[in-house]
Amino acid sequence: MRDVYVAGIGITTFTRLEFPLSEIAAYASMMALKDAGVTEVDQLYVANMGAARVNHQTALASAVADSLSLLPAGAAAIENGPASGAAAIKAGFQAVASGMDDVVLVTGVERMREVNNLEATDFVATLTHPLTEYIYGVTLPAHAAMFARLYMEKYGVTERHLAMVGVKNQNAALNNEWAHLQQEITIEGILDSPEAMTNNPFVAEPLRFFDACPVSDGGAALILVSKEKAQELGGPMIRISGVGQATDTHAVFEREEPTDLLAVRKAAKDAFDMAGLTPDDVDVAELHDAFTILEIAESEEVGFFPKGEGHIALEKGETALGGRIPINVGGGLKGRGHPVGATGVAQAWEIVTQLRGDGGKRQVDGAKVGFTCNFGGFGNNVVCLTFVRED
Amino acid sequence: MAREIYAYKCRLCGTMHYPFRMVCKECKANDFFEFDPVPLPKSGTLLTHTTVYNLPAQYEVATLGLGVVELENGMRMLGQLNIEQPKIGMAVTGTVEVVRKETYDDFYGMVFTAA
Repeated sequence: MRDVYVAGIGITTFTRLEFPLSEIAAYASMMALKDAGVTEVDQLYVANMGAARVNHQTALASAVADSLSLLPAGAAAIENGPASGAAAIKAGFQAVASGMDDVVLVTGVERMREVNNLEATDFVATLTHPLTEYIYGVTLPAHAAMFARLYMEKYGVTERHLAMVGVKNQNAALNNEWAHLQQEITIEGILDSPEAMTNNPFVAEPLRFFDACPVSDGGAALILVSKEKAQELGGPMIRISGVGQATDTHAVFEREEPTDLLAVRKAAKDAFDMAGLTPDDVDVAELHDAFTILEIAESEEVGFFPKGEGHIALEKGETALGGRIPINVGGGLKGRGHPVGATGVAQAWEIVTQLRGDGGKRQVDGAKVGFTCNFGGFGNNVVCLTFVRED
Repeated sequence: MAREIYAYKCRLCGTMHYPFRMVCKECKANDFFEFDPVPLPKSGTLLTHTTVYNLPAQYEVATLGLGVVELENGMRMLGQLNIEQPKIGMAVTGTVEVVRKETYDDFYGMVFTAA
């Protein structure tokens, strides 16, 4: 297997974007192509979940290939729920690692604000089990809420811990000009003050408004290349050193231990094993905090902290910028936004930015090893990646 | 006849499945449709729950109670809750009712109340 490097990155602002879906994808892709200094690719993969359902467009990758004048490159769209982004990176990795392609463009994109909030919620809920979950009105916030309640009961996680994740990540987004939410929040404002319950109503008990990521539009892109090509292009050598992916039961209630996220555990372990790394080697991590509880649970399952102790590490500031293992320093899904198909690529974008030392106010000093966890379904399809900077 | 929700028992090894699978998660040896439907029990204990405020567009209610129930036979299922103050560990009992209405279809599922 050949080594695979990230030679270029691009991103759009995550917000409500009044552009066609393929243009959002093309904009992020152009930035990545220019960043890498290439005008031709062998293959492109476009990660997206809702084009057919939300934007009434199919065969998105063909549209993006033509729009960017990348013809006759191979092109395919990858739909893998909220883990579409990292699944597309994996496909691009395999294409380069196998020797089949030398330059691959991976673009993640979503335009969810084209429909109203209730339709967007329903669209995401279509990933649940059709006959045993979806028909009951289950939404992703509902899954996260039932999971959070068990976590609270079993491990002593409180609403305050959840709010702490929300405050940490939303305020981290203030240091990321591309992030969706640009409003500072405080524990006082969302939990302790007399107005807090008006500011921060329940979405699905016990989860509140500020426990959930916003509904966002946006795109992000990477250029993956072989070692030879990376050396030819110059620039920092950022290698994707580990790739892990795992699945779990479609119906969430079927899991033997309902507070376990076994696909996260397996995907992370496989990525670390492939890279020859351990969780302790990671300098900066992007976890899939679509809901605050998920950052806590994933921080345990990927191996940063023992099971049930993620909220304690959070209390101690170990997951904040300057802490032992800074998590979601660019805002995470909570602050950056969560255009579902784009998220896995945006996580990689943040890690590469960090490993290049381009993080500005949110830079983790001397970051050399990065990690991403892209969580699809409600944990039924997870992709983890490790990145290393080679000097 | 009362409506039922069915689990599916593997004809080869007896393992029960809910939801339905084409291949048994235990023996993985099935030919096509080698499962027998077995009605799920309707009583159990509440494992976790939520009240949802932000519902898909089809629901014309302000909030919806949802929960996971561990049934008498140890299997689990998700259902709607018609319980004022749900508590983890409480005994519940279910009836099969319409849980979602769409233009041409009514979908039936389990609605749990306090036992």
